[in-house]
Amino acid sequence: MRRIATLWMILAGVSSAGAQSVMQRVAAAHGSIQLVYPSRTSACGDGKSFIGNVLGTRNFFSDGASFSKDDDWRPACVHGPVRVVATVIDGEVTRLRTYVGPASANGSDVESIQATAADVASWLTDLVVRGSTRAASDAMLPLIVADIAEPWPLLLRVARDDSRPRDVRQAAITWLGSGAAEHLGLADASNQSDDDDVRAQAVFVLSQRPKSESVPELIELARTAKNAAVRRAAIFWLGQSGDARAMDVYAELLGIK
Amino acid sequence: MKRIALFVAFVSSAAIGVARVTPLAAQSLASRVGAVRNGTVLMQFAPRPGVCGDGRGSTFTRHDDSNNSNASSTDDRWQCIPGPVRVAIGRANGDVVSIREWVGGRFVPGSSDTNLGTVSAPEAARYLLTLARAGAGRSADEAIAAASFADSVDIAPELSALVRDSGVPVASRKQALFWLGQSDAPTNALLALDGSVRSSDLREQFVFVLSQRQDDAAFDKLMDVARHDPDHEIRKRAMFWLGQSRNPKAIKFFRDLLTG
Repeated sequence: MRRIATLWMILAGVSSAGAQSVMQRVAAAHGSIQLVYPSRTSACGDGKSFIGNVLGTRNFFSDGASFSKDDDWRPACVHGPVRVVATVIDGEVTRLRTYVGPASANGSDVESIQATAADVASWLTDLVVRGSTRAASDAMLPLIVADIAEPWPLLLRVARDDSRPRDVRQAAITWLGSGAAEHLGLADASNQSDDDDVRAQAVFVLSQRPKSESVPELIELARTAKNAAVRRAAIFWLGQSGDARAMDVYAELLGIK
Repeated sequence: MKRIALFVAFVSSAAIGVARVTPLAAQSLASRVGAVRNGTVLMQFAPRPGVCGDGRGSTFTRHDDSNNSNASSTDDRWQCIPGPVRVAIGRANGDVVSIREWVGGRFVPGSSDTNLGTVSAPEAARYLLTLARAGAGRSADEAIAAASFADSVDIAPELSALVRDSGVPVASRKQALFWLGQSDAPTNALLALDGSVRSSDLREQFVFVLSQRQDDAAFDKLMDVARHDPDHEIRKRAMFWLGQSRNPKAIKFFRDLLTG
């Protein structure tokens, strides 16, 4: 019940007193400020750059790289709080860096705030909806790893919002695709066979065909493909097509009315 | 309707100077070249229709059924000159040490050069292929290319033999496969090589060469490779080229593969 209430508040744009405090303290910061809050129980990381188990077995580095569980190398992954370090210039957030796992030493000049996931999520939601392109895009990952209800309705709204910058919408679409794959139990690619790999390549190749050909095929595959690798790839490449119909399919797959 | 432009940049290594005259035109080309122990042997011959170049190393080929009479270039100063094919063979201590070719332009022979002048294109092509078989690297590549530009000769059987010859360096076999694909040889000549191109490098080239043939036989073979090749990376490569095709069968192929 707590999660549902929190999500309703976020979507309704309601900020608790704590959330307002987070926003005010961030806006008042000069340079960097760190927010620490609970992560999803599955999330882990090394506290430095690596974040594991974000949507299934997908892993990320805070520099934007990502890889799957079946890759050869993976740092130690420890469950722990999320730390978001915001760069603030003249009251505006220009950049976010996200960490999960054991706390690492920051510079003594970085102010640190302990907050609830809901309060930080409210602030991050505001950034996604109204922030600059970079800040809005950066705010999606810490929102997804926060210990709150999944933010897919919010990201769907942003993806459909013509007034938001294209890069922000595309970032939302990419996360929605990952979210849809996880929701369908397709996120784990660690057991992908060579044959699956070839089929996934076929989906990519199909996606590079003219949109009039590719998008209807990708939609059909995203909805009905029996092969997990094919369906996962179709969901991803459908989002990359830039076609508005992708959002409808994502909403359908995520069970969002 | 195959229209393929190919630009290959080469750098001349020929020396500049005054030519020696060779009066032994009645001898075979091989013996005339072999008579030069040290220095550079120059020759030129007629190109097949559709071959032109800028004389400095860029070469353009098209097929007879193309209406495009000029190479496309954003540089208005770029001229595509329809021949001759010019070949310089470097010799040292009686061995061939380098082969370079150009299309268009003319030689300015140096004092250590032996200029054979215009030679028979078919004889030159066959001779160059023998050099390619014995050589390696860039020289072999240029020998095969020059042979492929020659007029009035069908070297498809020789190119096929080079592709099949496991004693020839893979790079030369790939080059032979490429130029076989660019020739007027029927697609069946390429398909007949299927069993001989098993290494990953050759297989990848085989798939590419097929993709440049815009006919049903090549497309069908690409689909077969994409479905059944034992090397899944080669299957992916074939898949890529199928996706680039304008063949209407492509979309059906993908639909069947992904929903089957």
